[in-house]
Amino acid sequence: MPELGRAALLVTLGLSVYALVAGAMAAHLGRRRLARSAQNALVASFATTAVAAAVLLGALLRNDFSFTYVARTTSEALPTAYTISAFWGGQEGSLLLWLLVLSGFGAAAVSLNRGWARDLIVWVVPVFAAVSTFFAFLLVAVASPFATQAAPADGAGMTPSLQNPYMLAHPPLLYLGYVGLTVPFAFAIGALLSRKLDERWLIATRRWTLFAWAALGIGQLLGSHWAYVEVGWGGYYAWDPVENAALMPWLAATAFLHSVMIQERRGMLKVWNVLLVILAFSLALFGTFLTRSGVVNSIHSFTQSAIGPWFLAFIAVVVAFSLGLVFWRVPQLRSPTKLESPISREAAFLYNNLLLLALCLAILWGVVYPLLSEAVRGEAIVLGRSYYDFFLRAFGLPLLLLMGIGPLIAWRRASLKSLATTFRWPTGVALLAGVVLLFLGAGSSVPGLVAYTFSAFVLATIVMEFARGTRARKALGATTWPGAFRSLISRNRRRYGGYVVHAAIVMLAIGVAGSSAFDSVAEAKLAKGESMTIGDYLLVYRSLDERASANATEIRATLDVRRGDRDLGTLQAGKNAYTIEQQVSNEVGIRSDRLTGEDLFVIAEQIDPDGSIYFRVFVKPLVNLIWLAGLVFLVGSLITLWPDRREQRRLVARASEVGIPATP
Amino acid sequence: MARKASPARLVIALSVAGVLAVFLLYTSIAGGGNPSLAPSELAGRTGDVQLAGLVVGPVRGDAHDGGLRFRLRDISGESKTSVRVLYTGSVPDLFKVGRHIVVDGELRKGTFVAEPSSMITKCPSKYAPKQSDSST
Repeated sequence: MPELGRAALLVTLGLSVYALVAGAMAAHLGRRRLARSAQNALVASFATTAVAAAVLLGALLRNDFSFTYVARTTSEALPTAYTISAFWGGQEGSLLLWLLVLSGFGAAAVSLNRGWARDLIVWVVPVFAAVSTFFAFLLVAVASPFATQAAPADGAGMTPSLQNPYMLAHPPLLYLGYVGLTVPFAFAIGALLSRKLDERWLIATRRWTLFAWAALGIGQLLGSHWAYVEVGWGGYYAWDPVENAALMPWLAATAFLHSVMIQERRGMLKVWNVLLVILAFSLALFGTFLTRSGVVNSIHSFTQSAIGPWFLAFIAVVVAFSLGLVFWRVPQLRSPTKLESPISREAAFLYNNLLLLALCLAILWGVVYPLLSEAVRGEAIVLGRSYYDFFLRAFGLPLLLLMGIGPLIAWRRASLKSLATTFRWPTGVALLAGVVLLFLGAGSSVPGLVAYTFSAFVLATIVMEFARGTRARKALGATTWPGAFRSLISRNRRRYGGYVVHAAIVMLAIGVAGSSAFDSVAEAKLAKGESMTIGDYLLVYRSLDERASANATEIRATLDVRRGDRDLGTLQAGKNAYTIEQQVSNEVGIRSDRLTGEDLFVIAEQIDPDGSIYFRVFVKPLVNLIWLAGLVFLVGSLITLWPDRREQRRLVARASEVGIPATP
Repeated sequence: MARKASPARLVIALSVAGVLAVFLLYTSIAGGGNPSLAPSELAGRTGDVQLAGLVVGPVRGDAHDGGLRFRLRDISGESKTSVRVLYTGSVPDLFKVGRHIVVDGELRKGTFVAEPSSMITKCPSKYAPKQSDSST
């Protein structure tokens, strides 16, 4: 079986190289049949990659420990679901997943668009092929998932914290996001190469970008929730390089999704958009590199990783080639229009873009700073949490405010007077909220108070927009209010889906501000029967139990929880000791208040032989809004992603109006 | 040039200036980060540093009562020097002899006194770095 896997990957590599060479030649020489053949090779490479993936999956499910990869990442006792998740639990498997998704996306994006944008597609194919050649090469020559060995009696098992339902969804979603960003990249480079620099590459990739961006966003929130409930240190985001690895491309993609609208509407920012796509894709590669190469710890571990140098070289080639190409094509990327006023929709979007980019680059700087300082000064300097928190506030808070202003300000040119009228109500609401919160004691954290006030402002603008739009649709003949609301959204999914996503981001901001700026913590060593208090909660340590599960021994302390004179029932916190892996993991107890979104978070940090426990307890106000924001984000993304023929026709019509003949 | 200069350049220039100003503000207030060192590089260092090393037993004491005592040596294994560490606060699940850990703190009279609850564990080479081995 491993031979089949190896052969399939080799064929994939051959097909990718063929699609690259033949595709480039066909595009350059204008040979239509050769181009068609290159496209078919790209589609076929998806099939061969799928065969390789099926072989690996089969080996995992059979517990075939003669596969080195299987022996290293699973064990006999591991439940089936986690055996499947071991596919992306290690380096080789996750590279194979990358290639699988990449060839699938490539085949689909090319097949879907070759009808109406053939002249563009002929150049898109070799770009896809170049990326998949790289990954296929890595899998064939550097990090093969099909290495074999004499089968040991049992595998090494999986790290306990990865044995978790989140690990079934979180990594694949991130990969869908990373790889999904290849699609706009390939189309942008294809457009540059073919000199077909009209808006069609944007129209063809809009949904792909949205999809990749939504997957990255949801994937990250799932990862945060996993860290919160499973890793059990009391937080959900630690600015760790591997977390930042997903956040950076997401920020770049967010900037792109916004600036695209300016190009579609006003034909501006063409160079900027291409640069953002290149940045997003490079950061997606960089993110994969960070999580997979081990470079985050130190330059020294980088040289130990087999794929690290290859990855870095590929990123360098991608960046150099893309930037060179953009530079070469700048004359064709001149905008027919220009910014008319610094107070206008275009300008607001530009500020938004600059802030997103500044945040993204500040994070990137923090991630690479230890490596740069080690290379330059021989000593790695690590930038801690305060660095990131500072820039999140410095760039994130203005972004939050702009989220309320941008969508309502007029195109081209707005007067200060009209702004005052438009934002009269939201400003009033925000000021009122600020004063009330100050009165309630939120002044203990100024950034927190500012975040709340800005959030109130944005929410007010969103509510106002929905109310105004619904009223207009009612006046235009919708019979009922819900009907008017539905028709409002279905007539402009992009706009109103966007507002829903904005609402999700506001909820996220409120949740983050609440749980990080206004949280409290208490610690105490308790013997059975003793109690501790935090805020207005009272916790009494009642009993300690031990039970055996399939692959771990579970120790749980039971606590009675009271708040004021209300009995809130019991809460369990403890540890699991995993037998095969010989590891212990914290199992935290969380009590969520459905009404206020507040969590009581209990960690049994140290369990002594005499049964006394050192507890660490957090109260995190509003933290549940973060997870709720994930659901709202999903709904908003689905609204914007929903197929909309009317809009697609409108965009195609506008693109052909711009002057380039679009074959229908 | 008959065309009026576009404010785009002005906007971009001002924004870049603003970003730089924020950056300078940060570096002047907060200063740089902490140097990250291996145990063999620690001798004679003063001030806050981040120490990354391999845990060497025996591990004695109670992290919440007087402090946990153990030694750290270089992960690379090239140097045999190890340093005494005194640690208080929360101990990650993955902490044990043979593991790679990172602690913040400073050297005081030959003992590295760690800041409370600053320990982070890194998984050994069994797994490529993933989110799990970051913060515990």
